[in-house]
Amino acid sequence: MGFSQAISEISKKIGREKVLTEPEDVYAYSLDASTEFKQAPGAVVRASSEEDVRVVLEVADRERVPVVPRGSGTSLTGAPVPTSPESIVLDLTPMNRVEVNVDDGYVMAEAGATVLEVDKACREFGFFFPPDPASSRVATIGGALAENAGGLRGAKFGVMKNWVLAMEVYLAGGRKLRIGEPVYKWRWGPDLLSLFIGSEGTLGVITRAWLKIYPLPEKVVRVMGTFDRLEDAGSAISQVRRRGYVPMMLELLDRETIEIVNEVLGYGVEVAEAMVVADVDGPREAVWRMAGEVEQVMKESGGRTRASDDPEEMQQLYLARQGAYAAVTRAYPGVLLEDITVPLSKLMIALRELEKLRKEYGLRMPVFGHAGDGNLHPTICFDPRDEEQLRKAKEMFVKIGRLAVELGGAISGEHGIGLAKKELFLEEIKAVRGEGYLEVVRRIKELLDPNGIMNPGKLWF
Amino acid sequence: MKGTAVPEIVRFAAENTTSVGDVLGLGADQRTRWARGLLPRGPVDGTVFYAGEMYPVMGYAEGAFRALKRLEGLMDINSLAKAGPIMRKLGIYTVGTKALWGRINERYEKGLRDAIYVLKNLGIEVGYLFEDEPPSGVALHTYGLLREFKEHAEWVHQRLRELGVKRVITLDPIVATAFRLYYPEFVEGWDVEALLFVEVVAREMARRGVRLRLGREVKITYHDPCYLARTLGVVDEVRFILSRIDGVKYVEPPRHGVNTGCSGDGGLELTQPPLARKVSYERIEELKSTGAEMVFTSCPACIMMLRTGFDSVGVNISVEDLASLVAEAMRNGIEEAMPEEPRFSRYRVFPPSPKPKSLELKDLAEMLEWETDKCKKCGFCNVECPTAKALDRLESRSARGRMTLINSLVKGDPVRPKAVLDRLYSCVLCGQCSQACPVGLHVQELIVYGRAYAIYSGKAGVT
Repeated sequence: MGFSQAISEISKKIGREKVLTEPEDVYAYSLDASTEFKQAPGAVVRASSEEDVRVVLEVADRERVPVVPRGSGTSLTGAPVPTSPESIVLDLTPMNRVEVNVDDGYVMAEAGATVLEVDKACREFGFFFPPDPASSRVATIGGALAENAGGLRGAKFGVMKNWVLAMEVYLAGGRKLRIGEPVYKWRWGPDLLSLFIGSEGTLGVITRAWLKIYPLPEKVVRVMGTFDRLEDAGSAISQVRRRGYVPMMLELLDRETIEIVNEVLGYGVEVAEAMVVADVDGPREAVWRMAGEVEQVMKESGGRTRASDDPEEMQQLYLARQGAYAAVTRAYPGVLLEDITVPLSKLMIALRELEKLRKEYGLRMPVFGHAGDGNLHPTICFDPRDEEQLRKAKEMFVKIGRLAVELGGAISGEHGIGLAKKELFLEEIKAVRGEGYLEVVRRIKELLDPNGIMNPGKLWF
Repeated sequence: MKGTAVPEIVRFAAENTTSVGDVLGLGADQRTRWARGLLPRGPVDGTVFYAGEMYPVMGYAEGAFRALKRLEGLMDINSLAKAGPIMRKLGIYTVGTKALWGRINERYEKGLRDAIYVLKNLGIEVGYLFEDEPPSGVALHTYGLLREFKEHAEWVHQRLRELGVKRVITLDPIVATAFRLYYPEFVEGWDVEALLFVEVVAREMARRGVRLRLGREVKITYHDPCYLARTLGVVDEVRFILSRIDGVKYVEPPRHGVNTGCSGDGGLELTQPPLARKVSYERIEELKSTGAEMVFTSCPACIMMLRTGFDSVGVNISVEDLASLVAEAMRNGIEEAMPEEPRFSRYRVFPPSPKPKSLELKDLAEMLEWETDKCKKCGFCNVECPTAKALDRLESRSARGRMTLINSLVKGDPVRPKAVLDRLYSCVLCGQCSQACPVGLHVQELIVYGRAYAIYSGKAGVT
């Protein structure tokens, strides 16, 4: 009984070819995009149907074998990395059907379809799928839902949870839950959708979802502002939002980001203390007026602005932001990518405190992110072979998380908790909500997954 | 190579290359017969036409590839490779393969002859080394037998010097890649210039303002071979040549130039033929979607995969070397007008090659660990990876998975060199991964070095 029993039973039921146990196959699934945590599972099951998922969850639950659901493994927190060798990684990438129902205004996607595939399918009909995590061409819908991913358009369109009409979820033991309906209004209570979205695979396996779609904007104008003080950029962003403008994208990057992009990629972007890039969308007749108003707000905060609706020039204005991740990862073999969110009114304080931390520790830390929704990605750069640098980086990581909590924000805006922020998360919850909150969540977990087989060790479980 | 992690088929190809002179071990008579009576022996002004160890015998490979499909389930490629040496001992190998697949090979021989026709008519004088032509040994590099490659390449350099060769013109972008990129890295003082047929022809056509007439209207498309376009950055010359042939209605496939797609070769056609076939389907569909009546390309392995590919889906589109199209048009005469100076860009897609201090295990390990540690597992490579796509994104046979496995192997995780090598051999080395990598890893070269590490660490007994 136990692990090997479970594997042989699953193989028999769904087909040997879908169950990988060779070390050279399972080791390929031992990491995610955090690259910080490593554990190969004992087996990988490549589910190509709901029945495969059901069988795995039924057998694994009976045999008490941990199941780690996985999409493309682009998580930045270790969420799809097993915590014990006798685990099953449930790979959902072979389940990747996408069907657009433009008349009813939704797209149905199986868990393994990538976010970009879903978006592309919608665009054929003049619509799009707004959430766009930077990993959208790789990340799967299942993973994005389990992590409640966000992206560049978060300021206007929110995160994954804002786009879900209905979902199918399989629970430990193999029971299927169909939640919601693919219509724009339905109200069963309590809303179980939000329970599973962002649960990081700890409560069940999301196998498909019905998602809202949105008409493509008629026209987009990109406005770029450069600032002599980081705080001015922070002020510009909060003012843009404060005065009621909701650009589709509202990004911030600091001097260090621009410098690294120039150093590594040779882009020759004008160096400034900070840069803000906003995509203003709207009807053809009105969009330039709105862009002009956003420009005006930036100017009032001390910015110098440029705006364009020419695709090539728009690309130029976006170069530094687009190259940020590539430049940082090329320059530094070790990076810790933070993901805090702060209230917009505290953006300036957060940026000032980050600057202090950078000086205190003496490590490079470019700051960029989706500041329009208060979400920042300070990226701590270090040499992993240097123990002192590694120690400093980890300390900074924790301090930045605490800073977010102190300012009334959150330690993670869109990347999730996984293994990387587990301790910080508990600290945050205890500080702001107390033990009682934890108790409620623990009971829900016990109800849905009494044997604790679902992605153990993640979040607070 | 006995008792190593290297599969039978790779050993077969490697030994044939070094001891017989062509990948299939058919011998000089077969390899050089296309050139008889066509070219003078030895270099002309230091220049030779270099046929290489694949092009002149590619038809036999195509025959074997077609036969394998019929043998599927009965015999795999490694068992077939075992039969080769036995047949050779019995004295029936060359005769047998010639009887079976000689006709198929004639089409490849025609490609070579067409190339010579074009060069001659443009007044470009070349000689040929016949049986003295040393094989480039690029397969040794491809399959990660880097120590053997180094030794072989040094010998080739020596031979070419002795034979007075200063410059080679070749129709095969794989051997050209070896001479241009790998030889300078592995052979000290390498000084032989390697030119591609399309470069020489485009330059000469431009210089003389040549215009050709096909004498018929034909809608064609061109498949950019990855070695030619993505690795060597040669793209513009092909478009220039096509634009100078009246009657050609040219349609670009959706992915072209440095963003070309893979037709399923890059060595995979030899190590894992069924997967190679699967990989080719996407490209075949794409080329078909252009509505072209004919597909042209400039690589013997691509020609083989596309010819067999169109056949296997029952589509009647002929695939030929670009040299044959130029030759056909040239047979109607050459018009010379205003010379021009077109700009042929040399596109550079890949980052610099990773360089281990030596080919010793510890140096290979040090470089591989450092490089693969940089991989952030973002998976951008996998979106483009042809084998990941063909296998429903199976991680262990995807670009990102291969980076993980190399890292595991050099770090001492419980993975077996032979089994890792099998995953690394499932790669077509197309380089789309490197193109997509935000970190700037030279993924396909790391895979080649990873193969080397798996082979030589396997030799130590941990297979």
